[in-house]
Amino acid sequence: MLQPTPPVPQPLENMGQAIPRYEATAKVTGQPLYAADEPIARPLYAFFKTSGVARGTIASLDVRKAEAMPGVMKVYTHRNAPPRKAVKHIMTGGYMSDTNIPLADNRVRHDGDIVAMVVADSYEIARDAANRIEVRYAAQAPAATFGSPGAVKKVPEQAQKNAKKAGDFAAGWSRAPVKVDARYSTPTQHHNPIELYATTAVWNGDQLTFYEPSQFVYSTANGLAEQIGVDPAKVHLVNPYVGGGFGGKGILTQRTALVALAARDLGRPVKLVLHRKQAYGLTTYRAETRQRVRLGADRNGKLVAFAHDGEEVTSRADDYMVGGVENTVEMYACPNIATSVTLVKADRNTPGFMRSPPETPYMFGLESAMDELAVALNMDPVELRRINDTQKSPISGAPYTSRSLMQCYDQAAAAFGWSRRNPRPLSMSQGDWLIGWGCATATYPTNMMASTARIRLTADGKAVVEVAAHDMGQGAYTAMQQIAAKRLGLDPRQVTVRMGDSALPPGPVAGGSMTTASAGSAVHTAAGKIAARFGGAMPAPNDLDDAFRRLGVTQIEEYAEWWPPGQGPQAVRALYKGSMGGGGGEEGEQQEGNAGGGKPMMAAFGAEFVEVRIHRLTREIRVPRMTGAFAAGHIVNPRTARSQYLGGMIWGMASALLEATEVDAKRARYVNDNIAEYLVAVNADVPQVDVILVPEVDTKVNPLGVKGIGELANVGTAAAIANAVYHATGKRIRDLPITMDKLLV
Amino acid sequence: METPKISRRGLLGASPVVAVSAKAASAQTPEAAAPALPDAPVRRRVVLKVNGESRELDLDTRTTLLDALREHLHLAGTKKGCDQGQCGACTVHLDGERVLSCLTLAAQAEGREVVTIEGLARGGKLHPMQQAFIDNDAFQCGYCTPGQIMSAVACVQEGHARTDHEIREYMSGNLCRCAAYPNIVAAINQAKSQMGRA
Ligand code: FES
Ligand code: FES
Repeated sequence: MLQPTPPVPQPLENMGQAIPRYEATAKVTGQPLYAADEPIARPLYAFFKTSGVARGTIASLDVRKAEAMPGVMKVYTHRNAPPRKAVKHIMTGGYMSDTNIPLADNRVRHDGDIVAMVVADSYEIARDAANRIEVRYAAQAPAATFGSPGAVKKVPEQAQKNAKKAGDFAAGWSRAPVKVDARYSTPTQHHNPIELYATTAVWNGDQLTFYEPSQFVYSTANGLAEQIGVDPAKVHLVNPYVGGGFGGKGILTQRTALVALAARDLGRPVKLVLHRKQAYGLTTYRAETRQRVRLGADRNGKLVAFAHDGEEVTSRADDYMVGGVENTVEMYACPNIATSVTLVKADRNTPGFMRSPPETPYMFGLESAMDELAVALNMDPVELRRINDTQKSPISGAPYTSRSLMQCYDQAAAAFGWSRRNPRPLSMSQGDWLIGWGCATATYPTNMMASTARIRLTADGKAVVEVAAHDMGQGAYTAMQQIAAKRLGLDPRQVTVRMGDSALPPGPVAGGSMTTASAGSAVHTAAGKIAARFGGAMPAPNDLDDAFRRLGVTQIEEYAEWWPPGQGPQAVRALYKGSMGGGGGEEGEQQEGNAGGGKPMMAAFGAEFVEVRIHRLTREIRVPRMTGAFAAGHIVNPRTARSQYLGGMIWGMASALLEATEVDAKRARYVNDNIAEYLVAVNADVPQVDVILVPEVDTKVNPLGVKGIGELANVGTAAAIANAVYHATGKRIRDLPITMDKLLV
Repeated sequence: METPKISRRGLLGASPVVAVSAKAASAQTPEAAAPALPDAPVRRRVVLKVNGESRELDLDTRTTLLDALREHLHLAGTKKGCDQGQCGACTVHLDGERVLSCLTLAAQAEGREVVTIEGLARGGKLHPMQQAFIDNDAFQCGYCTPGQIMSAVACVQEGHARTDHEIREYMSGNLCRCAAYPNIVAAINQAKSQMGRA
């Protein structure tokens, strides 16, 4: 067996140095200023009163008790709330995560909708006053989810456009001698970053500075400017540190404008920190899905037909689409393919991006079905993947720029000890514990988006890199530092990096795992322009002083714009407006799929192996160990990369066994809206996790040869666990999360 | 908005008046302020000893130690992740023991030693636990980190860091959504021997 990688792995081929994080000392001493940490002089505090029903109208609203409280400045309701402009949803070219405008009328559209906002001179008073607001609702029966009366099915135009097809699925399916036809479901999940969602707004004349956690400062600032009718040049978002995002802080929510306008109205800074509970209704979440997977194979295991059909819940207001079936059908060679997606519109807030939005639910379906097929064929599941591995798209025929899936399988299988597995279910045990081993494929597309960057190099050999990209824990500061240092021939410690501020040159959304590829390429380009000033080759750090003197300058500043192949300068113009429209992000994936026709396939891959132990009597499920091997082109920093994979696999484990937001089927309300009852993984849940970095060289994806990794490792884990549970118990659980009760029946 | 009826409450509903009255109340002793305005916050002078320094505050008695640190003393290293005792991000030391500052009223901390993440490094030198967190990449976004480190130091001092299993169990009150858990265990293992020697 291979040794598990230590927290600081040795760099292998095509990997950079495993230096500590740029901001490490700051983070262990409590120095970084997250959004709600900004010291503000004499702020007012806002607190929302949120709805107790999911659908209806406000019959009466009595705010007198709240208003009478000493210290209360103002209570905003639908009667006096400042107007805001309707701005489109992010997926239709706008900025919003949810287009329902709270306090615009007396209607309640989902659980936890805002019905009032109290602003007071202390947090305690604002919260107390909000609780004294008396609301009576004329409630109507809401549609909660799939199958609820009143839920409306819809096939959005985009789903039809994106539908992927190859050959003739019906014909292939009817001829296939071995078949799996199974239905899977994945639950609602909330991001629950440990940093709460917060907004502080400070006006200085007609200039607004605001502080809120954002994975895309240009988008958030531009969107807010449009909503409140202010020149975007006068709106400044400061957010150098994000306390975890996972997609939840990517897109502007409706709370921001309310806070900004209250601050203008009252002439004082206003600070809002959403209560943990309120985040469930006032931000986005991972939509629940229901899927049908049909896999047909010949007797040797070769796929001959694959159809993946998905149903996803969304709000009445917006057609957010998870859309992962376009990705699953690219996984394996297969001549006959069909996909479909149907939305189910219910009385809910709008769902949105959550770590590997399409892949997490849909790869659970595919990779579970692959395991079922392996069982039907009486074949080793790794061999089934090998037989169907492909180096090109089964849809368009376009080649992958690189794809090391089977290298990942082989390395992970060896480290895990897979060859010692007895394939028969219920065949392995220790004492009262049934043991199961399972595996699955991880994948994530290499998304890229335009970016700019500015670098200033001074004669003393120090550089400052500026790009409005974001570090929410991925290691983006460190990656930018290393990329600049390498191209400039400097010790990374001489490089200062500034990010997370809409006054800096724009960078990409911290989504779609594209920060390093996109912002990194812009930084690399800017550094190249500096090198060009010295004739292309950077002088050694000790010779810089002389070299600057020869040029007759004391500093050199270069600004660069970079866009991915196939895009143009209009992508940078879109970026300045905070639009993802230039291509990229989860949207971009779908556009890419659409383009098809020989466009190269770009994705990172991995293979994950898990051991589960299930108690013979209680059916308690433990995961003592997981092994993952991942290949993603050039790895800028093996230390931070390993941490991303580690955290990703633990996310995947939690999504398989723990995480589900329970939706009350009658009332369409979130039942477990806190992090004691919404179970995220805790330290005691986490076993030995081995991460293997598989070297891979890709010279085609981008100048740096990097692929996105932040959303790779949590894909596939859930299926690996479900497959291991089957191996341990002989029971196939197709509905996540896998809990004791499902194994007891 | 409805026009408030003319009553004591209605008059108080006009916000500028309210702002003044809140301040006026704050200057009085709590005993005097409370009966005059039933819904008015009771305020109290609280002296907190934080990281070795005494700080005097005039606080709403409901103010948690967490909000006193963050909003009144601008010691924002201690984090709010739930405000209801579920995440551990707000962990500080009170007389050397780890407590959740969101579940501790500021007034309860009077006369006791409060140590926060800002007070852990001494004389410009990182605490061995802080160094171990760096060495083992025991964080990603860093938001849970102050709480993890304060908890980890206490975990070792309590004698609850003898095995990996024990560390995992006694660190399970500190959630890390980035899931740096295995690295946190590695960091505690590194620091515990150095702390013993220190
Ligand atoms: S903020 Fe105190 S436990 Fe979460
Ligand atoms: S480092 Fe992000 S929550 Fe722990």
